[in-house]
Amino acid sequence: MIYWGGNPAECHPRHFTKYSLMPKGKFTPNGRKDRTMVLVDIRETASAKAADIFLQIRPGKDFEALTALRSIVKGKRVDESAVAETGLTMEQLNDLVTRMKKAKFGVIFFGMGLSMTRGKHLNSAAAMTLAAELNAFTKFVAMPMRGHGNVTGADVVVRYHTGYPFGVNLSRGYPRFNPGEFSTVDVLVRGDNDATIIIGADPGATMPQPAIDHLARTNTIVLDPKVTHTSRLSKVHITTAATGISAPGTAYRMDEIPMTLRPPLKSPYPTDEEVLRRISEAVARKAAWYPTPEALMATA
Amino acid sequence: MELTVTKHATCTFCGCVCDDIELHSDGTRVVDTKAACILGKSWFLNHDVIRHYPDALVNGKEATLDDAIEAAANHLYKADLPLVYGLSNTTCEAQRQAVTLAEMTGGIIDSHTSL
Repeated sequence: MIYWGGNPAECHPRHFTKYSLMPKGKFTPNGRKDRTMVLVDIRETASAKAADIFLQIRPGKDFEALTALRSIVKGKRVDESAVAETGLTMEQLNDLVTRMKKAKFGVIFFGMGLSMTRGKHLNSAAAMTLAAELNAFTKFVAMPMRGHGNVTGADVVVRYHTGYPFGVNLSRGYPRFNPGEFSTVDVLVRGDNDATIIIGADPGATMPQPAIDHLARTNTIVLDPKVTHTSRLSKVHITTAATGISAPGTAYRMDEIPMTLRPPLKSPYPTDEEVLRRISEAVARKAAWYPTPEALMATA
Repeated sequence: MELTVTKHATCTFCGCVCDDIELHSDGTRVVDTKAACILGKSWFLNHDVIRHYPDALVNGKEATLDDAIEAAANHLYKADLPLVYGLSNTTCEAQRQAVTLAEMTGGIIDSHTSL
């Protein structure tokens, strides 16, 4: 079990005990004792205490280290000076590869330390490729450590509707997927879009300034249980019920298992679902933006 | 005050989505949690159902829900390229509606994943 660029002890406190490290299973009757945990990170976080092996990597060298691991897995020659650049030694990497190949079932959990630093999605791709290539020797998977509640659900739902998980452009009437072109930060920074509806997010507090400026400049609509930073710079804010606390529904766990929400409270505000449905209905009452058969017949 | 106990409640703070939480609530707020971690506990205890905020704001002024929905629909309908963004702190049912809206308005749909 490898955690790469994540700090589950502080960010996902029950990940160890409920899901990954401690539970006893059919093939792991002794729980923790049957598992080896490796932590790869740039500093010794609270999660290092739980790890059997802690590998301190130099910041921004994840892609290099993952590529070196892939080479070692395939038995290819690796340049030792390139490995030294990553802050790890050949012995450490060789030992890690031996352990990964010996494992009955391995998993790489990668966090934002991998996916949000230099290299970004190429780093995640390298981790997934490493896991894929290890399947020549044993069973191995890679899984991202998801932060926000139902971000996995967003991937799943957008995927089963459009065929792609995020960054989907529907302006031609069919879905097109291109992260970097249709991903939010890029769209906002370039100023491509002329209206935004934000549901369950507060980009006004987290996004780069040019993106926030564009949100303030154009027509922005926010659905949120609270009046947020983004609400203050938007044209329309609608208060909605808090997901899982006063709004019922379904949320996906990070391993893509759907969970039913059991809200303990009843909100005076409508749910996101209801508000979005009513906005869709209001839009549907207007003429379609694309040429419908009826409109074409009328002009003919 | 009698407390309502919700068993097997699901926490949506982080991606773990633990579904074995016991919540004690008094109708307006959650007063106690069992099995939740430190993050989940503060997530549940820091929400209540008191009307802290107006139903809606249009151009910074308080508005009714109906007016705000109409204004939102107009903005999205008039836009050449609307963007539907966020989706992580909401339900799958709402996400489905969001996809419908993006498709109807010919926009882009994107989530926190792309950050």
